[in-house]
Amino acid sequence: MFYLKRFGWVILAILLCVGFESVVTSGKNFDYVYRMCVLAGLYVTLAVSLNLINGITGQFSIGHAAFYQVGAYITGFFAATGYKGFASNSLVQQLSHIGVNATWTVQGLWLVMMVLAGAAGAAVAGFVVGLPSLRLKGDYLAIVTLGFGEIIRIVCQNQPALGGAYGMKIEPRINSMWFVWLLAILCIAVCRNLLKTAHGLPFLAVREDEVASSAMGVDVTKVKVTAFVIGAAFAGAAGALLGHFEGFVSPPMFKMEVSFMVLTMVVLGGTGSITGSTVGALLLFGIPEWLRQIEDSHHNPILVSAGSVLGFAIMLVAAVAYVRHLIHHFHGEKKAKTQRIVGTFAAALVAQFFLGMLLNLVPALRDKSWPYADLRWAIFAVTLIVLMLLRPQGMFAHHEFSVARFFKRPKEAAA
Amino acid sequence: MGSALTLLAGLDPAGLPQQLVNGVLLGGIYALLALGYTMVYGVLRLINFAHGEVFMLGAYTSLFVSWALGFSPEAMKSGSHQSNPMNLVIMILVSMTVCALVGVVIELFAYRPMRGSSRIASLITAIGVSLLLQYGGQLFLPTSPPPSISDKVNPYSGSWEIPLKSADASLVAALAKARTEAKESQAEIDRQHINRFDTNLPPAQAALITTVETSERQVHDLEAKINNSSVKINLRYGQLIMLGSTIVLMLLLRHLVLKTPIGRAMRAVSHDFDSASLMGVNVNQIVTLTFMIGSALAGAGAMMYATLGDSPALNTFYGSLPGVKAFVAAVLGGIGNIPGAVLGGLLMGVAENLVVWAGYSQYKDAVAFVILIAVLLLKPGGIMGSSKVEKV
Amino acid sequence: MIRNSFLIAGLAAIGVGSMGLLSGCNPGTPEAPKPTDTKTEKPTATTAGARPEATDTGVKAEGDTIKIGLVAAKNGDDRPWGIDSEKGAMIAQDEINAAGGINGKKVQILVGDSASTPEGGKSAAEKLVSDGVVAILGEVASGTTALIEEVAFAKGIPVVTIGSTRTDLAAKGNNFFRVCYNDDFQGSTMAKFAFEGLKLHKVAIMTDNKLPYSQGLSKTFREAFTKLGGEIVDEQFYEKGQAQFSGQVENMKGKNPEGIFLSGYFTEVGAISKAIRGAGMKDAKLFGGDGWDSPSLITGGGEAIVDGHFCNHYNNADPRPEVQGFITKWKDKNNGAAPGTTMGALAYDAANMTFAAMKRCKDLTAKNIIAELENTENFPGVTGKITLKGQGGNPKKDATVVRVTKDGFTFAKTFPAE
Repeated sequence: MFYLKRFGWVILAILLCVGFESVVTSGKNFDYVYRMCVLAGLYVTLAVSLNLINGITGQFSIGHAAFYQVGAYITGFFAATGYKGFASNSLVQQLSHIGVNATWTVQGLWLVMMVLAGAAGAAVAGFVVGLPSLRLKGDYLAIVTLGFGEIIRIVCQNQPALGGAYGMKIEPRINSMWFVWLLAILCIAVCRNLLKTAHGLPFLAVREDEVASSAMGVDVTKVKVTAFVIGAAFAGAAGALLGHFEGFVSPPMFKMEVSFMVLTMVVLGGTGSITGSTVGALLLFGIPEWLRQIEDSHHNPILVSAGSVLGFAIMLVAAVAYVRHLIHHFHGEKKAKTQRIVGTFAAALVAQFFLGMLLNLVPALRDKSWPYADLRWAIFAVTLIVLMLLRPQGMFAHHEFSVARFFKRPKEAAA
Repeated sequence: MGSALTLLAGLDPAGLPQQLVNGVLLGGIYALLALGYTMVYGVLRLINFAHGEVFMLGAYTSLFVSWALGFSPEAMKSGSHQSNPMNLVIMILVSMTVCALVGVVIELFAYRPMRGSSRIASLITAIGVSLLLQYGGQLFLPTSPPPSISDKVNPYSGSWEIPLKSADASLVAALAKARTEAKESQAEIDRQHINRFDTNLPPAQAALITTVETSERQVHDLEAKINNSSVKINLRYGQLIMLGSTIVLMLLLRHLVLKTPIGRAMRAVSHDFDSASLMGVNVNQIVTLTFMIGSALAGAGAMMYATLGDSPALNTFYGSLPGVKAFVAAVLGGIGNIPGAVLGGLLMGVAENLVVWAGYSQYKDAVAFVILIAVLLLKPGGIMGSSKVEKV
Repeated sequence: MIRNSFLIAGLAAIGVGSMGLLSGCNPGTPEAPKPTDTKTEKPTATTAGARPEATDTGVKAEGDTIKIGLVAAKNGDDRPWGIDSEKGAMIAQDEINAAGGINGKKVQILVGDSASTPEGGKSAAEKLVSDGVVAILGEVASGTTALIEEVAFAKGIPVVTIGSTRTDLAAKGNNFFRVCYNDDFQGSTMAKFAFEGLKLHKVAIMTDNKLPYSQGLSKTFREAFTKLGGEIVDEQFYEKGQAQFSGQVENMKGKNPEGIFLSGYFTEVGAISKAIRGAGMKDAKLFGGDGWDSPSLITGGGEAIVDGHFCNHYNNADPRPEVQGFITKWKDKNNGAAPGTTMGALAYDAANMTFAAMKRCKDLTAKNIIAELENTENFPGVTGKITLKGQGGNPKKDATVVRVTKDGFTFAKTFPAE
């Protein structure tokens, strides 16, 4: 019965992913949306797998892009050396008649193999990085993971066989959206099941207190390394999918900033919360892409003058300061508090508009202007800071999102 | 690749002293930056990821000051420009002041509100501030084309040679002669506006070009001979000033931290934040001061790096690589430990140059990290730090 | 309770198995990378007509405005090049619209931000395609262009790259064109110039290992220079953004090169040249590729860079009307400032060349535009006369070697296109 139920869930997940893909591909000109969905799925996998290391086990890893890169480069290497041989292999040829479409089946088989290979390679890398975590704590471990990421990047950059700084082409290009999301769901499921069962308790214990947990008989070494290996394996699998989806891998795709981005997703969502990481990943991946859409109906860029930017900045600082004051010092009813916070932001939004107009009377501030696209990453940075200032514990804090919490309003949620 | 293949044969023992000196010079700047990381970490247990961006702003400030002092690209086109040492002093002071202010503002608006929250949340805020300065800075600061500070600002353009093993005197004399000859014939070509690469020149001019070419080759051969027969350390005056100022700044900091009441308060806060505040130390003031000092050091470092060293052209990502390196140096020395940061910086600088010396310049950064990991595995708390279990 | 590890393993196995692919545990699964000698794609030289044809998906200009996409880095560390390419393309757009557009239709260039990352560039390209562009201009970085090309190839849309010199990019499909040279041409030009013009025999190379551009250029220079009979005595590396090059310079000094080929961007070349002179290498000739082109080179390098030579597309002082006209227009738009990098002129050419091809099209479909771009002959660009016909996407174009003086760049020698 148990297995039947599990099997049911798996089938459901697959159907969900395939359904999602067919919804996306049903429209006209879906390539952009499709791409966004694939990348979002990959980021979800990355964030949730990093959450296992950082949030659930409490290790401080800031080099997650390295595992992503290992996975991507392993597939790149195999695709360059082995895909042709694989596709013409007699066994594969026989198998290819099973599915609807021979090419799809061959590519699907290949992709599964590559995902496993990427995961295995990254798991080994995770093991290697996990080992120092036995001796190193906190920031010292962080710098080692960061360093590991840089080492991987520099080594790839210097191998002509891996394409050097330019990168390497990966044939064939495989559009694998449902598979990407299946991986994301698998990653979420693994983390969730880990937390729901007794196997997860040692991880949480290590996070809460390493010394105490080892005194209670937890094998700290095993827990830490396991977390690194599982987390890295998922990142590697995601890397393999990325490689085949892009058809190309290059060192700048895995630079330090990518690691920071994933780390930010985890913290913003709420360290330790799986749903938090998922939402954090979707949000942070989405913001810059959403900002890309800001243009008028004729796709002309919208210009923003320096005066408007300045007005916005002033009102934002004021609003954030006041809302922080409300959060900490307002002791009324929760509803009233929410109303005031929303009211503050609404008022600031209106005020910044007028302040902007006022400031635009100054010629120097009016004449300097940028298209929105230029402000994309600056806006992203501001959003990040504001979110952290207003909710330092992350959107979901340590909790998991649950619908019930909305209705029941448990008392401890206010804490 | 070629250099990598000639594994040991490529090692040039004559170059080693120079490489060590280069390493110390680079390490000095890393150390200045690392001090900022380590001091902030000491009092707040916060990795100030925006420190590299403060460094970048310091470099830009120096650029603007140099423009204001009459070294802007437009002004440079007209007439000769004689710089004097005062310009350097003004630049470094303004850069330090601006950076100190920026550091205080960042602390006030971004880090102070986060003080009660988890450390990792402050870290993310720091990343946010760093992104904001990088991407927001691109809108306001001149980036296209990436500007450079004119090297005319530095009045001391020569260099000081310390011969460890001198070359043959006759060779040196011959070289000087050959050089003058080459210069004279080149001047003649320039005077007549001859294009050296024109294939249809009248014979007289063609002969002139041949003369230049022979004398140039002669100069080169002589130089090669001298170079191979002597060992010397070549120190540019700019680098010497850099090293000197770095040492002075470090001594000042040492005095401040060890010999003054403020320094005592700082050490107390670093030792135990809460107890210090209970003992009557104005913690907020000390934290602000720490940010001020750390950022001012970054500003001084930036000015020297951008003006006196071999600095690439400025852009808003200028500080990210030195920032990471300095962070690594701080961790290497034991983060939170002031002498450790200096030691870590120097070690990083020397290690990098030794890797280059061994012919692996493409792995320069990677090897720096390998060394770091190796050291941390042996001494988990950094060279001069202590390790204790801590939570993220 | 059932043991959880079984559960996880089971879930994973079922996930794989459900694809009907349980037999995926093939004994042939490669476990460890074998050290087989994998050659990355050989640069396929100009083999016209041999390029794979991009699938025609029937993209064509609809409505009253013709939309053309431009992918440029508007954020991140490539921004200086990105905004210059945007400015250049926009000058071309305003000009053609003022002259009545293409066959009576207005042209609109939509700009997509790559944020200096390859995936960002690809996302921008996908977005532009979904907005209905019929051609894509851009990018500057070869790694990003490689991904943009993937998108355009699948859609059958032409790509005219502005500054991606990587040689093997052109082999991907018949929809790819460039207005710049490829590494093969530039590297061999500078090798010829160094060997024959500067009469150098022993040369060291300094490569920016973070830039595919620099790596490619150094490689082709090395091959061409050795073929001519010269000797490469040393190659040193650095990464964009690093400072202090004395270590590398000291190593080169030990090898006594007569000249040093600096294949990176001007942002570091100035500093490196200072380090070279500062280390006492007073006579080594410095030379490099078109990455040097910027007024900033002279401020950055000061005395040290004077008398260096580099390969360029054009020269701001060139009296040709195309060049002077472009510079005047640029200065009008930018408060009198001259172009900071070559990308402005290249983007202007890329846009104009595309417009010219469109004008020749009867019917504005992507397929026709590709065909007409391929037919480009003697297009009078700012950066030289461009011929694409039968060139496999790589323009046939003269290379100019310019000399750095205290006040600017002067003409030294022209190398005609092969």
